[in-house]
Amino acid sequence: MDIILGIFNALPEMVNELVSSFLSTPIRGDLIFGYTQYTFWLFVAVALLVVVFAVFVKKQSASLVPQGRFVNAVEFVVEYTRDNMVKAVVGKTWRTHFPFIATLFFFILVNNIVGIIPGCHPGTGTISVTAALAIVAFIYFIYVGIKKHGVLGYLKTFTHGLKGPMAAPIWLIELFSTFLRLITLAVRLFCNMFAGHIVMGTFAILTSVFAQQILTFAEQGAAAIAASGVSVVWELILIIIYAVELMVAVIQAFVFALLTAVYVQTSEEEI
Amino acid sequence: MGVIGYGLGVIGAGLGIGLAAYGYTTSTARQPEMQGTLFTGFILASAFVEALALIGFVVALVVK
Repeated sequence: MDIILGIFNALPEMVNELVSSFLSTPIRGDLIFGYTQYTFWLFVAVALLVVVFAVFVKKQSASLVPQGRFVNAVEFVVEYTRDNMVKAVVGKTWRTHFPFIATLFFFILVNNIVGIIPGCHPGTGTISVTAALAIVAFIYFIYVGIKKHGVLGYLKTFTHGLKGPMAAPIWLIELFSTFLRLITLAVRLFCNMFAGHIVMGTFAILTSVFAQQILTFAEQGAAAIAASGVSVVWELILIIIYAVELMVAVIQAFVFALLTAVYVQTSEEEI
Repeated sequence: MGVIGYGLGVIGAGLGIGLAAYGYTTSTARQPEMQGTLFTGFILASAFVEALALIGFVVALVVK
């Protein structure tokens, strides 16, 4: 019994330590002129993306018909992005918006997937990066709207063609919700990455804490063996959560790009 | 206290995702050919709902 109590007394402190290890700490320089662990892995992810696409372009242009697993896999992802995300949502003008939305998608996807590898950090795991991404998407869809309707015309689309006394409050609410998109885009991606890694880290801590009981409390015999046996259960849960996080990494990239596509479509639509 | 608050807050998100999944499965059963479009909507809706729960999770961890 004291084994279990000891574990659960030590746990909050270890989780706090885990949470504080997710703060941005500069590896070189300081927080302004330097790079943190997140920016380092962000550059690694971008380099990986560039290499993958350079190899893809080289291999794809070698033959008219896509050959091999690699070329087909990348082509499938690109075509999925094009058909289900951009064409289906944006509509007729998909050709102009496809490069931007696909870039966002692949950038976030590769960052999330690099972050899921044990020992690596996701570039998108800090609010600074996701806020920067959200600002880029925000400026893009505002720019698209202004280019299409003009400044006053774009501001008028916020009422969705509504006439009469209700137009003013609806306009205000729409304006507010447009700026709210900036926050929700950034916070959604950040929270998903951060929370996922915290949960995985907690279960990893549980696994190791339970497993080491067999060393520290060896003289208690059966109880210590039982406690370390429980660590197998934690390990299994960790593996399941890891699989879920792999799915979340893809889905969050998908959601971010899809929402950007939806916002582009709403700022472009005719009233 | 933060943990209890998070537990209470996640009830709403659980209900929300449950409703989204319910709508998705029943409508897929009725019209299987709409599955692709419905899935996109389902993922979008659950991302909106899930974000609330995750914000709660992060706030419970960060704010002491």
